[in-house]
Formats: sequence, C-alpha cells, structure tokens
Amino acid sequence: MSTRIITIIGFACVIGALAALEAVARRGTTRIPTLGQWLGYVMRPRTGRALILLGWLWLGWHYFAR
Amino acid sequence: MTTDELTRWSGDLPGASRPPRTGWRRARAIVLGAGLTAYCWIAGATVPFSASALLSVLLPGAVLAVIACRFPPERIQPPERIDAVGFSYWAICIAALFEWEASAFRDNSPPWHPSLTELVNPLIAPHPLKSAAVLVWLLAGWGLVRR
Repeated sequence: MSTRIITIIGFACVIGALAALEAVARRGTTRIPTLGQWLGYVMRPRTGRALILLGWLWLGWHYFAR
Repeated sequence: MTTDELTRWSGDLPGASRPPRTGWRRARAIVLGAGLTAYCWIAGATVPFSASALLSVLLPGAVLAVIACRFPPERIQPPERIDAVGFSYWAICIAALFEWEASAFRDNSPPWHPSLTELVNPLIAPHPLKSAAVLVWLLAGWGLVRR
C-alpha cells in the first residue's frame, strides 16, 4: 500500500468521522452538538460571525478561484 | 356536516381564494433559484487564477456581507451554551483534518502525500461538477448568514 493511498484513507477517515459526528448529534440522544448548533454558537458574537464568514469566503477562493 | 365538507379545502368555499402571498413567494423562489443556477453555471466555467474566477467568488461574498450587515435575514436561534466535551469531538476531528492538510502543503503536495486540494480539484474539474460545488458553497454561505 503506497503512502498516497494511506493519505487518501486518512482524509476519508477524518471526513467520515465528521459525518458520523453529525449523524450522532442529530439523533439528539448525546451531548454532541450538531454542526449548525456549534457554528451558531461560535457566530453569536460579531467577531466569530466575521471569522466564520471569512473562512467560508477563503474556502471559495481556494477551490474556485485558484 | 359531513366528512367531505370538513376536509374540503377553504379555497373551494364560495368567495374564498388562495392568498396572493403564496403565489408571489413561489414566483420569487423560482426566480432566485433560476438566477442562482445560472450564476453557478457561469462561475463554474471560469478559468482558475483568472480575474473572472476571482470575481465569481468575491461577488457573492460581497452580496452576503451586505445582506448580513444591512439586511440580516431571520436568524436561526443559536443555543445558549454548548457542552464542551461534546464539542471537543468536533475540535479533534477538525484539528486532525487541518494537520493532515497542512503537512501536505508543507511538503508541497508531493504525489505520495497529496493535499485535500490536490484530491478535490480533479473531482470538480468538469464544468457541471464545479458548478454544483459552487452552488453548495453558496448555499452554505446562506446557511451561515442565517446562523
């Protein structure tokens, strides 16, 4: 197994873990917040809101403008 | 009064009519959806590292910034507090993702340790897929503005 495959598996595992966290959180039986809940919490202050939106803009620039 | 009369829609009653707001909202949604789709299709056709590609990203960013600051939509009420242990699971996964990506960037994304960008770019290279990705990005931005 090449290191490239290992890298891809690593990314897949992390992204899968994020998806699993969201699925578990949406069940409502755990204390894990959903993505929307913790994003909303972080975006309550103006600074957090600006930072998150800037991060969203950076993602767009990184993947679509470059 | 029979069951049929009870279940009859109010629009069937004499003198009643469908509220005009529903039709207007539907028309507005259709126009917005068509405009959004057209914009994503155009943005998906831009060449990377070009001025048009940069503009296609900055323009919706500016629009959402204006909406967030001047015309904020009805926001989804955020929770008053969040469980720290529950959030730590998210933090660990996101930190792992950033570290994995950063290490690839540090090594200049060699073939044996590609960055997430190097893996995603071929997937969104086709025009329809890139347009779909732009649409997802725009919808995510709108979702963030509503938070």
